[in-house]
Amino acid sequence: MIRVENISKSFAGTPVLRNLSFDVPDGRITALLGANGAGKTSCLRIICGLLKADSGRVLVGDADPALDPMGARRQLGVVGDREGLYERLTVREYLEIFARMQGLGGTALAEALAAVREELELAALWDRRTKGFSQGERMKVSLARALVHRPQHLILDEPTRGLDVLAVRLLRKTLLRLRAAGTTILFSSHVMPEVAELSDRVLVMAAGQVVGAGTPEQLAAETGCSTLEDSFVALAYGQRASAARVEGEPA
Amino acid sequence: MNRMWSARAVIVGLQQMAPLLRKELLEAWRDRRALLMAVCFSLMFPAALAGGTIFMVKKQSEDVTRLAVIGAERAPLIAEQLRSPGLDVEALAEGSPRALLAGDYDLVLEVTDDFAERYQDFRAPRLYLYVNSSDTGSGRAQRALQERLGALQQMVVAQRLSARGVAPQLLAPWRLETRDVSTPSSRGALILATVPGLLIMTLFIACLATAVDSSAGERERLSLEPLLVQPLAGWQIITAKTLAVASLGWLGSLLAIGALVLLMPLMPLAEFGIQQATTVAGVVAMGLVLLPLALLVAVLQILLALRSQSFKDAQTQLSILQIAPVVLLMVLDMAQIKLADSWQLLPLIGQQQWLKGLLVGDWVSPLWMLAGSAVTLVLVVMAILVGARALQRESLLSAS
Repeated sequence: MIRVENISKSFAGTPVLRNLSFDVPDGRITALLGANGAGKTSCLRIICGLLKADSGRVLVGDADPALDPMGARRQLGVVGDREGLYERLTVREYLEIFARMQGLGGTALAEALAAVREELELAALWDRRTKGFSQGERMKVSLARALVHRPQHLILDEPTRGLDVLAVRLLRKTLLRLRAAGTTILFSSHVMPEVAELSDRVLVMAAGQVVGAGTPEQLAAETGCSTLEDSFVALAYGQRASAARVEGEPA
Repeated sequence: MNRMWSARAVIVGLQQMAPLLRKELLEAWRDRRALLMAVCFSLMFPAALAGGTIFMVKKQSEDVTRLAVIGAERAPLIAEQLRSPGLDVEALAEGSPRALLAGDYDLVLEVTDDFAERYQDFRAPRLYLYVNSSDTGSGRAQRALQERLGALQQMVVAQRLSARGVAPQLLAPWRLETRDVSTPSSRGALILATVPGLLIMTLFIACLATAVDSSAGERERLSLEPLLVQPLAGWQIITAKTLAVASLGWLGSLLAIGALVLLMPLMPLAEFGIQQATTVAGVVAMGLVLLPLALLVAVLQILLALRSQSFKDAQTQLSILQIAPVVLLMVLDMAQIKLADSWQLLPLIGQQQWLKGLLVGDWVSPLWMLAGSAVTLVLVVMAILVGARALQRESLLSAS
């Protein structure tokens, strides 16, 4: 479980997160839904220990990343937004190095590598250097790196950005399998259909705060809207913006 | 007990760092551009040095001015008196000054047809000196000839005055003589004095591309963040990068030392009065004293490159900044400032002094080498800790 308690964060005096609190339960897929600049990436970076919150506390399992970053990082698998690979390494070398950094070795390492190779359909890429990989291939390798040490918590920042349909389907399949295995999954996105399809629970973020939480159906019921998109607009931008859209557009 | 625990923690930390070190080494050694740069520069400077030395010796052996005197029979005294070891005088009845200068001669002196007649009548006969000022070597030869002609003229004046009962000293209140104290040996020593500076520069250049790639390059390619979320401390990340960068820099300087040692027998150093006295132990010591410096150069370049926003930005900044220490070394060397022994504790200056001594087989104090290397290593550790803090800077993360 990931717990975020009253965290605030400012950059150069501009508040990005304001007293943000939420829980991410085990065995569920939770989506952070927000427009660009809503504070999603900053929030995820604080959970990973890459940024320090000005106030508040985060728990990844039993570890606070601000106080015990190594403890938190051992329980985390992270796929960042638009992250790069090491282009002079093969996929096998890349994954082996990251698995070893997470403390794997011997038989456990060989089994972990074989598992991600199988699960993420990496056989054809296995001994190729990552230079020139497509966006989908890069995502598969990044996801394999995040999963190779079987972390309890998986964090993904805009994971479907730039992916083709096959890559999105593989990602979806992988996340559903991990959910079934009890992994805590938190991902950020601003793509409504992806959030509606993948997540068990949606946290709507606006101006550094959670302004709505629940299943897509619960959010629709709460706002009186028929779609997640309308619910999001109503929650993130207020009823006026939602009404303006509804009135201004033909049904 | 506490100290033992700390040492144990460092050893465990280094073991945890091993996979990252492997990654950094694989990336560094597979970067063909960086490798090519390191190898090329390392081999280029010893080759240039060997070529330069051979050229200097050749030039020195050819240091005889060839002078053609047209119409020498009209002034036999001049042609005769000018003959000397450094001046090869060829007496010619006639010839074209331009053609002679274009040929084998450095200078052409033409004695006018009425020289003898005017000389007898004390009517200052004319001599024409033809030079090719575009020939860089002609200036020195011209000055030497003018000095000789001046001296000859003074001798004639003195004889004429003496014949008339006038003391010639009255016309010359003093005599200025220029003496060139440069010896072949001192010129040769100057050549070898540049070698330590060039070896250190090789180190800087061989480290550069990898240092930039593993820091600013990693930021630019957005591959730094996945690394920062691994259970590794900042010091482990900086240490692994430093070791990988230093390995390439050290290889560069070892290649340069190897090439230099192999080429030295081909260099005509004996012509400069230098006996090659580099021993096997000296060569090993040269490699060893450069190792701590390679680590220091690597970590400092990484720290500077981490501050840059892009690969190109880092490369430009480092290219400019790395010139400074090398220029400092060369200025110190050219100014021939005598430094106290304690200056050997300073990085760069220490290594330069030791390399200079080891290269010509002089005795170098092992104690000073150990103490200076220890100081360099302490600075490496301090720089790694600074780098670990730099990795916590929020500005290192990409804007999303």
